[in-house]
Amino acid sequence: MKDNWEIVVGLEIHAQLNTQSKIFSSASNHFGDEPNTNISAVCTGQPGVLPVLNKEVVRKAIQFGVAIEANISEASTFDRKSYFYPDCPKNFQITQFFHPIIQGGRVFAEVEGKEKEFFISFAHLEEDAGSFKHFKKFGAVDYNRSGAPLIEIVSKPCMHSAVEAASYARAIRSILLYLGVSDCNMEEGSIRFDANVSVKKYNEQTLRPKTEIKNLNSFNFLQLAINKEVERQIDLYEKHPDKDPKDVIQSGTYRFDAEKKQVFLMRSKEGADDYRYCPEPDLPPLIIKKEEVEKIKTEIPELPRQRIIRYHQNLGLSLDTAHQMVEQKTISEFFEKACNTCKNKKSLANWILVEFLGRLNEKKETFFSLNLLPENIASLVNLIEDKTITSRMAKQIADIMVDNPEKSPEKIVEENPEFKPVSDLSTIEPLVNAIIEKNPDSIEDYKKGRKKAFAFLVGQVMKETKGKANPQIVSDLIHKKLGDL
Amino acid sequence: MENIHKYSGKQLHKALLEKKITAEQIAKTYLSRAKEFSDLNAFIETYEDSMLKKAKQIDEKIKEGKPVGKLAGIPIAIKDNIHISGKITTCGSKFLENYKAPFSAAVTELLDQADAMIIGKTNLDEFAMGSSTENSAFFPSKNPWNIKCSPGGSSGGSATAVAARLCSIALGSDTGGSIRQPASFTGTFGFKPTYGRVSRYGLVAFASSLDQIGPMANFAEDIGLVMEVIGRPCDKDSTSHELPAENYFANNTESLEGKTIGVPFKFLENLDGEAKKQFEKNLERLKELKANIVDINLDVLKHSVSVYYIIATAEASTNLARFDGIRYGHRSEKASSLDDIYDFSRDEGFGKEVKTRILLGTYVLSAGYKAHLYQKAQKVRQMVVNSFNKAFETCHLIAMPSAPTGAFEIGAIQDPLKLYIQDVFTIGANLAGLPAISVPSGMEEGNKPLGLQLVGPQLHDVNVVESAAVFTSKASIPPNYDKEVNV
Repeated sequence: MKDNWEIVVGLEIHAQLNTQSKIFSSASNHFGDEPNTNISAVCTGQPGVLPVLNKEVVRKAIQFGVAIEANISEASTFDRKSYFYPDCPKNFQITQFFHPIIQGGRVFAEVEGKEKEFFISFAHLEEDAGSFKHFKKFGAVDYNRSGAPLIEIVSKPCMHSAVEAASYARAIRSILLYLGVSDCNMEEGSIRFDANVSVKKYNEQTLRPKTEIKNLNSFNFLQLAINKEVERQIDLYEKHPDKDPKDVIQSGTYRFDAEKKQVFLMRSKEGADDYRYCPEPDLPPLIIKKEEVEKIKTEIPELPRQRIIRYHQNLGLSLDTAHQMVEQKTISEFFEKACNTCKNKKSLANWILVEFLGRLNEKKETFFSLNLLPENIASLVNLIEDKTITSRMAKQIADIMVDNPEKSPEKIVEENPEFKPVSDLSTIEPLVNAIIEKNPDSIEDYKKGRKKAFAFLVGQVMKETKGKANPQIVSDLIHKKLGDL
Repeated sequence: MENIHKYSGKQLHKALLEKKITAEQIAKTYLSRAKEFSDLNAFIETYEDSMLKKAKQIDEKIKEGKPVGKLAGIPIAIKDNIHISGKITTCGSKFLENYKAPFSAAVTELLDQADAMIIGKTNLDEFAMGSSTENSAFFPSKNPWNIKCSPGGSSGGSATAVAARLCSIALGSDTGGSIRQPASFTGTFGFKPTYGRVSRYGLVAFASSLDQIGPMANFAEDIGLVMEVIGRPCDKDSTSHELPAENYFANNTESLEGKTIGVPFKFLENLDGEAKKQFEKNLERLKELKANIVDINLDVLKHSVSVYYIIATAEASTNLARFDGIRYGHRSEKASSLDDIYDFSRDEGFGKEVKTRILLGTYVLSAGYKAHLYQKAQKVRQMVVNSFNKAFETCHLIAMPSAPTGAFEIGAIQDPLKLYIQDVFTIGANLAGLPAISVPSGMEEGNKPLGLQLVGPQLHDVNVVESAAVFTSKASIPPNYDKEVNV
């Protein structure tokens, strides 16, 4: 049944900008402190205060705008959005409703192995609210988050599956992280997603009613919520094929219950609040000169997409590996550092993404929590490259490194005689002779041109030496012996 | 020195420097006057202790030969919608009856740094909404010239305090005429500077795009003196002008020669009675001072009251939304839910006029009405700006009456619309952000002063104040107020 339906999704992404102070006051913009410690007269809405725009917020917003190839408005304005709630100290929020700072823009994201382009409608600046907590007999408000700078990034309704939406969201997050403008920490709520979801028949020209699912704080929930909502909508339309879509799907704001895996209506469009938007008279228009934008353009660091292409084209990583490496900025930076001293980048990528990350994930640790040094990972790969150790030894050494992060692989090799490969001909030659004698069938096969037989023989010798024989010496020796025969 | 209260602030400062008087003597004189004339209801609170403490500090400095600030020894009152850290700012409202300001307004800081002596906080219409101080939650102030009459408003307490010589200078705030109309009613000078010339930081907002703090005084020179201190850029107010502080009265001009003064005759055609006679007399005086009078077109100002009550109430409805009983101010004891806190606290804390304006402002911003009302009003506001700009192509200053009538009796006007019309000549300068002053220009029958208003282009504050001072030399200024309270 799903085949007849086209899914249409647009995302609103709220990301907190990681400035020192808040968007309109000098109070500290810091998460996780004692309630109501990072506050000022401005963020508690005292009478007589005035907002002063933090220039750092503007700079970070411009960086984002430039990174997504958007237009930076030469004059944007601030507006008041009115609603009463205890977390909103002035009972209006300062936002940019009429003239946002960023217009248009696009990002590229990988969707199931293919690159896809997604479009941004606009992005604007606004202040975050505090947090209102309900206790048994009372409510309490913490204004630490009140006035934290937010950038709200509104996409066009250009995504056609939950997977696409998650890919787009990942791409935006990784741009914000690479620019260093947001911490994008899901647990701390410094990045949140609202999804606008509707479905329509492929041949229909206009969109059907959409629902807005608020405050999704992980890629998983985002994907899950969209899938659930799509299912719900299609199900209802198929049950009522003759009804006007407006009477089937109630436009409005929904929330996703992660435990019940269901969306619930918060308020319908008919009952929607009238926010009574009006210009913020205390803030003059924000004027951004072209030269300022040009200057910021020159300061933009390498972005994830450029880095993927570089890893693929210059370092020879597969596109898939390049994507994986770039997804987390911290890991990519770890890789970059290790690259400086490493002889084989491709192998290094594998050691970081597969071998080490596998070991670390198992222990619920990270490179950084254990303080593993990138140069040590590079050295390990170099030891393999130099044939000082075998891959099998390297894996054992990796185990030791994760347990003893302070030790370099060289030191580990030095301390453990079993990691010294056997390169001594007088030890290896008798072994090789014995193996050749024991496996006449393989020798026949080899002579018939079967390459596998050769690898089998090498493997047998390695097994005898418990992996310690220098594989190059072993294969040279076998070559020589077989040639002699 | 005798009759200390008859001197200007500038003269007192000079006498202080010449050691003819001490700051303490000045402070004591004014504090005792404030007590003596407490029936005028000029003050909501007076600061005897902190004023005397400041006076002693100043005297100490002078004794030790240390430099003192430009306003040293001058008693200054502050309208009670401007913060002084640690003191209560009521805004004339029950809602903030016990609200202790957590910081000082930029102007308060500047006055203090200049060694002014703050005598107290003056009465006002609740949240500066009104033209008579009758909307104060506490009491109406009385006009010292005729105590049956209102001193005007909303800065009526400041006007009364200045006119009755309970201070040399008072700060007011002017959103639609709240400095100039009371100045007119009390025979004092009241100056609304260019929008952005004086920082609004620490002024409790009524309508942010129109509000401006300004001085009131009995002498033009005191207006200039205090403007030199408070008229400067402020990094806490994003609408503040970058222009550095200016000097007033640097040139001693005695005539208005070379100055063209525009008069919007058509807009003023409905002016009648004593106000009309006075205004015509004032134009003659301007001519005697060699000003060139020309006719200008400001017909669009006939819409200014309507535009004002849309824009000002829209902004006020959002500015006053923060008074919700959650964090500070009045919280209803009847409340048992979140909605109750909002509903009852605001119902009990706000007076009738404030509620009316919040409702009006909420209405004009509501979906379905915004385009016809708020957005249209913004367009007309732009037309007002354009008309003034055009007028200033042909004149240096504009002359108009400050108010359509002299002071009215307390309780005489019950229809709020009739009170709103009080601001018909003053609102234009707020809509266009222009500097405007009300100069005392005579009395009408019943001991009711009347003022002339001079309006200049943006940032021509010095010219406006200096021209007002020149006009004074020819005007019939009310005598120094002494004890002639009852008429």
